[in-house]
Parts: sequence; C-alpha cells; structure tokens
Amino acid sequence: MSFIELKNVKKTYIVGGKEFDALDGINMSINQGEFVVILGPSGAGKSTLLNLLGGMDKVTSGSIVIGEDDIAKFNDSELTRYRAHSVGFIFQFYNIMPTLTVEENVNLIKDVTNTSKDSKEILKSVGLLKHADKFPQELSGGEQQRVSIARAIMKNPKVLLCDEPTGALDSKTGIEILKLLKKQSDEDTTVIIVTHNSLIADIADRVIKIKNGKVESNELNKHPKNIDEVKW
Amino acid sequence: MLKRKMFRDIRKNLSQFITIFLMIMIGIMAYSGIKAYMDGMQKTANRFYSENNLQDLNVIGYLNYDDLNKIKKLDNVKDAELKLSVTATTDNDKTLLLNFIESNNISKFYIYEGEEFDANKSGIWLDNFYCEENDINVGDIVLVKYDGMVLYEKVLGKINVPDHLYDTRDESELYPDRKEFGFAYMSVNEITEDYIKSIAMKEASIADEKVFDIVMPNFNYKDHIPFSSVMVDVEDKNNKDNVKENIEDNVSNAKAIINIEDTSSYVSYQGEIDEGKTYVGVFSGIFLFIAMLSVITTMTRVVKNQRVQIGTLKALGFSNNRILLHYIGYGFWISVFASLVGLVLGYFLIGNIFINLEMEFFEIPNGAPSMNISSYCVSVGVILVVALITYITGRSILKENPAETLRTKIPSVSGKTIGITKRGFFKKLSFSSKWNVRDILRNKMRTFMGLAGVVGCCALIVCALGMLDSMNFFVKLQFEDLYNFDYKLNLKENLSNNELQDLYDKYGSNTSQSLGIEIKDIDGKREANNILVTDAGNYLRFVDNKNKIKEKPSDDGVYVTYKLASNKGYKLGDEITWHIYGDSKYYSSKIIGFNKDPQNQNVSMTRKYLENLGITYQPDSLYTNIDLSNTKEIKNVETIQNIDNLKDGMTGMLSMMKTMLILIIGIAVLLGGIIIYNLGILSYTEKEYQFATLKVLGFKDNQIKNIFIKQNNWIAVVSIIFGLPIGYYLTDWLFKTAIEEHYDFGAFIETKTYIISAIGTFIVSYLVSRFLARKIKKIDMVTSLKGNE
Repeated sequence: MSFIELKNVKKTYIVGGKEFDALDGINMSINQGEFVVILGPSGAGKSTLLNLLGGMDKVTSGSIVIGEDDIAKFNDSELTRYRAHSVGFIFQFYNIMPTLTVEENVNLIKDVTNTSKDSKEILKSVGLLKHADKFPQELSGGEQQRVSIARAIMKNPKVLLCDEPTGALDSKTGIEILKLLKKQSDEDTTVIIVTHNSLIADIADRVIKIKNGKVESNELNKHPKNIDEVKW
Repeated sequence: MLKRKMFRDIRKNLSQFITIFLMIMIGIMAYSGIKAYMDGMQKTANRFYSENNLQDLNVIGYLNYDDLNKIKKLDNVKDAELKLSVTATTDNDKTLLLNFIESNNISKFYIYEGEEFDANKSGIWLDNFYCEENDINVGDIVLVKYDGMVLYEKVLGKINVPDHLYDTRDESELYPDRKEFGFAYMSVNEITEDYIKSIAMKEASIADEKVFDIVMPNFNYKDHIPFSSVMVDVEDKNNKDNVKENIEDNVSNAKAIINIEDTSSYVSYQGEIDEGKTYVGVFSGIFLFIAMLSVITTMTRVVKNQRVQIGTLKALGFSNNRILLHYIGYGFWISVFASLVGLVLGYFLIGNIFINLEMEFFEIPNGAPSMNISSYCVSVGVILVVALITYITGRSILKENPAETLRTKIPSVSGKTIGITKRGFFKKLSFSSKWNVRDILRNKMRTFMGLAGVVGCCALIVCALGMLDSMNFFVKLQFEDLYNFDYKLNLKENLSNNELQDLYDKYGSNTSQSLGIEIKDIDGKREANNILVTDAGNYLRFVDNKNKIKEKPSDDGVYVTYKLASNKGYKLGDEITWHIYGDSKYYSSKIIGFNKDPQNQNVSMTRKYLENLGITYQPDSLYTNIDLSNTKEIKNVETIQNIDNLKDGMTGMLSMMKTMLILIIGIAVLLGGIIIYNLGILSYTEKEYQFATLKVLGFKDNQIKNIFIKQNNWIAVVSIIFGLPIGYYLTDWLFKTAIEEHYDFGAFIETKTYIISAIGTFIVSYLVSRFLARKIKKIDMVTSLKGNE
C-alpha cells in the first residue's frame, strides 16, 4: 500500500444555489519520500486537493489515507492535531507572521508540537541564519519563502504541501527554493507541489495531471532532470 | 451601480456599520437627552415664574398695611402683597409652612385640583406633593395648630407656587421630606382677632384683656397682624437695586430685602440646572468624544480596507470626486440615520426620564424636556466629521497612482520601536505576547482609540459610583461628625429667660443661634450671609479641611468656612466687617480659624465672643440626647427634629441620584462594550488571515483565542490603571465646580468602588473579547488565506 491513498474523493461546493464538483472522484497513490508535482489549469481542482490533503478542508465523500490514518474521517480536533504534527505548508505568498522575526516565525512551531527540530539548524539549512533576527518585511521574496519552508520543516512533517511555492518568485530564486524542497524529499519527506508551471514537472518523481476535478494522468518520471537544468 | 456596491459593502461589514450606528446614536442620545433635560428644566421654570408672576423682591421684617402702601407708591414698583409666614403643625405632628395672604396676584397658585384663591373663602390651599404623600384630597378637613391657635380647615385646592419649588424645614435638612413638611396658604381673614389681640397684649405686657381694651379702645386687629414679608413685583427688573434702596430708605420696618434669586427655593432649582449644565459638558461630552474617536477609527479603517477597490474604480476611469462621494456616502447615511434616532431617543428617553426624576424633587408643574438647537448643531457636526474623515482618508488613497493603490498596504513592521521588542526583556516573552506587543506598536492609532474608549468608560463608572460614595461620606460627616446630637429643638422666637431656663432644666443648655448678616467688603459691597453662634459644646462640632474634628472653638474671633474664605480671599488674621439684619451697627471681627462645612458657607463664633461684642444671645435651637421619640410637643418649641429623620431625608435625594447614575453607568457600559466590540472587530478582521495561518500550522482554536483575547485584556488593564485616577479627578472636579456655591463637597471614593469599577470594566472587556473570539472557531482557512492573496 502506498503512503498516500486517495479513493473516490469528491468535493462539492454550492455556488449560487447550484452544486459544483471541484473534485469529482479522485483516485491516486503517492509513495513516501516522493517529490510529486500536481499540474493542471486554473479551476482544475489542484488547490482543493492540496487543502484536503492538508486537513484544511473536508471531503464530501471518499477517503484520504495518509500513513495509517484516513484523515477524511477526522473530526476538527483530530485534523488540528494532524496539521500540527504531520503536515507542513508552503504558500505562494508565504503567509509568515509579519510581526515575528525570522527565528520567531520558525520557533512558532514549538507552540504546537514538541517534536520540533532545532531552529538554528533549520535556519542554517535554508541559509537564513544571518537573518534570524530580521522581520519578514526586511527580506526579499525568496528569503521570505525560505522562512516559510523553514517553518514547515521545523516540525519534521511526513508530508510537505506546497501551493505554487515559486509562483511569486523569479526563476533564479525559484530554483533555489525547489532545491530546498528536493532536499526534503531526499530526506524521506513526501513533497507535493501544486503548480501550473509544467517546467517544474521535469524534476518530479511523479507527475499528476488534473483537469475538471478528475485525474487525467498519474505517471512516474523515470528520468527526473537535475534542478539546475530547469529554467523558466 | 455604485449605490448597489455601497449597500452590499455595508451588508458585508454589517457588524462594523451597526457599531458605528450605535456609537453615534448613543453619543447623540446622551448629549441631546441630557441637554433636553437641562433646557427643559430652565424653560419649565421660566414659564412657571413668568405665568405665575414670581416676585422680584422679598422684604422681610414686621410689616403692616402702612408699609405695604409705602412700597406700592415707590417708583418702579408694579405691585406688592403682604404675607405672614409661620410654622404650624398638624394633628399628626407634620409641619406646615403656613402663609396668610390677602390676594394672590404675585406668586400665583398653579392649581392641580380645587379652586382659585379667594380671600373671602374659608379653607386652606395645600402643597400638592404634601397632599399626595399624605393622601389628602380637596374637600378634606385638616387641623392646623399654631401658637395655641387651632384651626379646622377645609382643603380648597392642591397647589404649586413659584417661590416654593424646594422647601426644607430648616437648614439642617438637606432634602425636603414631603411627607413630614409642606407649605400651605390661607386667607388673612382666617387669622382670629383673639389671636392677634393676644400677641398685641403680650407685646404691650398687658395681661388683662379689659385693661387692654381701655388702653387701646380703637384696636383694629388687622392693623396689628405681624406680617413677616412683602412680596414685591418690580416694573423694570434691571432697576431692582434702586427699588431695594428706596425700600431701605422709606420702610423702617424692613429688616432685609432679598432678591428672589437669593432665596433658597430659587437657588436650589437654579443650582440644579447649573450643576446639570456641567454634567452636560462632562458626561455627554465624554460620551460623544469616546463615540466619535471610535467612529473615526472605524470609518478610516473601512475606507482603507477598500483600497484595492478604490484603485480598481480609478483604473476603470471613475473620477476622484465620484469615488470620494461614493465613500462619503458610507458614513454619511449611517450618521444621518443614527443622529436622527439619537435625537429622538435622547428627547423621549433620557430627557423624559431625567426630567421626571427632577419633577419628583422640585414642585413645579408641566416639567418637560426641551430640544435645544445645539443638539441639532452637534448632530450636524458629527455627520460632517464622519464625512470629513471619510473624505480625508479617501483622498489620501486617491493621491497614489492606481497601480500602487491596487496593491494591499501592510502596516510597517520595521523601525526603532519594533526593534526594541527584539531585545532584553521582550526576547523572553512568549510568542503570543511578542506578537501582541508588536501588533499594538504597528497599530498605535487603533490601540489608542481602544484605550481612550475603555479609559473613558472606566472613569465614568468610577465617577458615577464615586458620586454616591462622596454623598454618603458627606451625610456621615454632617450627621455624625458635625452634628453630635440626637434631637434638635427649634425654639420659638423671643422666649423669655424663664422660658429658656425651663427648657434648659429639662433638655440641657446646648444651644445655638443663627443670625442673618451682611458682610461688607473693602469696596463697600455688601453680601448676605449668616453667623452661627454656638453655645452647644460638643453637640455641634467643627472639622478641618481633612475632615478631622477640631478642638473647641476659641472666644476671641470668628471662624470662616474654607470655601467662603477661598472665594473671598480671606486669610487668617484678616478682619471682616458685618452687621446684623435689622441693625445698622457694623462690627469688625478677626478671623481666628477656618472650618469645613459641607452645606453652608458661613461665619461661626462662640456665644462668649458674641456677648463680648455687646450683642444679646437669643438661642433659636437647642440640642439634646434625651430620648424624645414619644414626645410630640414641647412648650415653646416649634418643631422637634430627630437626627435619624434628618439623615433619612437624604435617602430620597440619594435614590434620585442613584437612578440617574445607574443610567449613566448603563450608557457607559453599553458604549464601552460597543467600542471594545468595534475595535475588536477591526483588530480581528485585520488579523484573520494570520489566525488562519496559525490554524493551518496546527494551532488549536483555544490557543488562537488566547492570543486574541490577550491584547484586549492588556488594553483593558492599562485603561483601568488610567481610568481609576481619572475617575477620581473627574468626580472631585464635578463636586468642586458643578455643585452649588453654598456646598463644599469633594470626591471621597471608597476602595471597593475602585475595585468594582476595575472588575466591571475588565469583565465587560473580557466578555466582549470572548464573544468576538468565537469567530476564530469559524475561520475558514481556505477562504481566509485566499482572501489575503
């Protein structure tokens, strides 16, 4: 059995009194430590899928088994625990606390889990140790996204979920960020990136394409490219 | 289309607009309500004084028809009427200020029930309040006793009279006791010839009536009625002083001529209005100020939150003026509607409630609130301020180019102030504390407005409760520290030494005398006052400025109350020049000390000092601790007053104060709650995406709630620290400046009041925060984070 198993996952929204299926019976499997890229056009259901995987939203029907738990059956407090211990989030617009310094943002995780790593080491690994005492506003976009990554990996998550992590960055900075994410995957963390940038797919272990709320394809990339070869 | 946008935006931010509406409404309601009540008081009195022809002058003395005719003939005198006022008792030991008149063109009756005054009618017109309290109806027969004269009179009318709006039995009563004391009017024809004859015989020291008839064969009793005053109606009110001088020169029986504005009824009512005018300024001003601070903050934020939409409208080609008008509309219509509701509620709710309370206190008919133009002006001012704030905020956004406007502006985090929070003590703070400290520093204005709102509410609660504490303290000071007796006997006038001795033998010889005087300053200006001559030992005590009981007064000069000394600039060792009413001889007395008196600002001296000046001591009050609870009547004593009854008299006034203060506290708590809620909503809205992020990171709802509530708790605690002393100074200021001239009160606030106010303020703040924090559970992480993007 794969590390992540989605079976017949449906997510239906009511829009203007009418039902709208954002996800329409999704099935997929992802192995532990894989670097996964989920591709699809706008409105395909990528972000909805990521939100369900992250325990930020609940399925209408179906199951999402991560490890041994079916998070689709979790209640609110179980989902909170899941988010606190098992999953790390990286957003397109970083979502870091503007009033906390870099190190404080990372240490924030200590308030939700006691299995967190050492913040200094984490900051060193993302190249931010010298900026530890700065506020996010004093950093560049790429540096802010590194803070977001540091915060996400601080809790040593099983799954790292990234929503367009390079979407607000230039090519060079984007590649730096992808390197950091790939490093996490090499250390056995399952990294799932949602993007509409198909170039990123070249470096992935697995590429899942979604269209109209359905999985169009789910393929293993036998020869993933080296990140330095990617440009956009 | 823009209108539709406006309505939808308002609906989307409904709670913020509802709080803006409520704050403006409450602010205007408080201002216009208290103003309508105060103006209503003034207009009600002016109308009553004018329609019922209140006299301009009271001429006091032993007066007769000759005196009346002399006064009537003087220049600028429109009309004059004689009056004999005596203190009478009833069969059930109530006291009546009984007035005998022969016509009623001056200080005319307002008749609630019964018939007009007619000198030829036999009967009595009674104080309406007294009748209601004692369940007396027109047609009932009441028994009236005075100086041995017993009259059975039919009640002909229940009345109000313009010079009897506020009557107390004597100066030792702070509050009128309507059940025990009232005023009454009868025709002068009701005075019996026998009674007047007996007075004339006593004056002539003739015991035998036959002898008297021989000595005075043409005795006409009416010529010998000892009228106590003449009410004078003056033609040209500006020339009253000339009339006074003319009366002084031409009427030798006139002992004192008193302007109606100096009489206790007039002063008490006017004092209430003057006090109220200060309250209008203070309470309603604070309410309005706090409300406006909060409204301004909210409107600024509302417009700033529309920054991207403003940029979009601009990019679409809308003119700046069109956009500005659109946003001004948000605050304009809300404030117009809120002001209208505030004006209506102010008049009908606050105005009516307050004036009805006053009308239970003063005997004046047809009391009604009156809407003042200033209330409309303040409402227009509020609407303009809201519009102006919206305009200024909108304009500052419009100055930027559309591309810039389309980007969300995040408050700056850099800067020295925030930098401080990375070092030293701050470094050790928990995440939530750091987060809140920095959030406060980033949003100084919002925090300041929150502080101002809660400080104001806390101060108002301290002030309202503190006023009650202070009143209770002064009741204790007056009736336990200064008055150290159980009973006060008000003696009849001109008692002989033998009669006095009889009383001394039975009840002790602790007495005092009150003398009406005029004090002349160095410019020759004379001012009415009184001297308390004490021979009461420890029964009447003096206190110093710190309310500590002073040693026995000395016999070589006079004591002046602190407030009088302060007003007149008297210093220790100064001399004051004075004369007794009815005696033109002036005396100079050295000030040898000061004393504090909460309700009379006067001069005091010992009996020995008075007699050293060559003035005969004639006591008018006797103090005793002998139990007189079963004694109804004492020979040569007009009234017997129990100290407990005097104290109880205050209960009525305190209960009226309580009702008013509860309303004020209620408004303060309501306004405080709304302000905290409103600023909480602002703060919550601005932080929602951060809370959503925390939720995504795995923070529990309670953890996030605590972060949110922590800041509001801090603001409440800091506000309380400032609010408590401000409340004290506000109370002290109100007592020292707003209260009538003859009172000397200051704030005396008990510790428990501070504790109650602090806890009350904190609870309001905490409950509102908890109420708001409920939203955290409902945060939709997906929507909130998307919204921020």
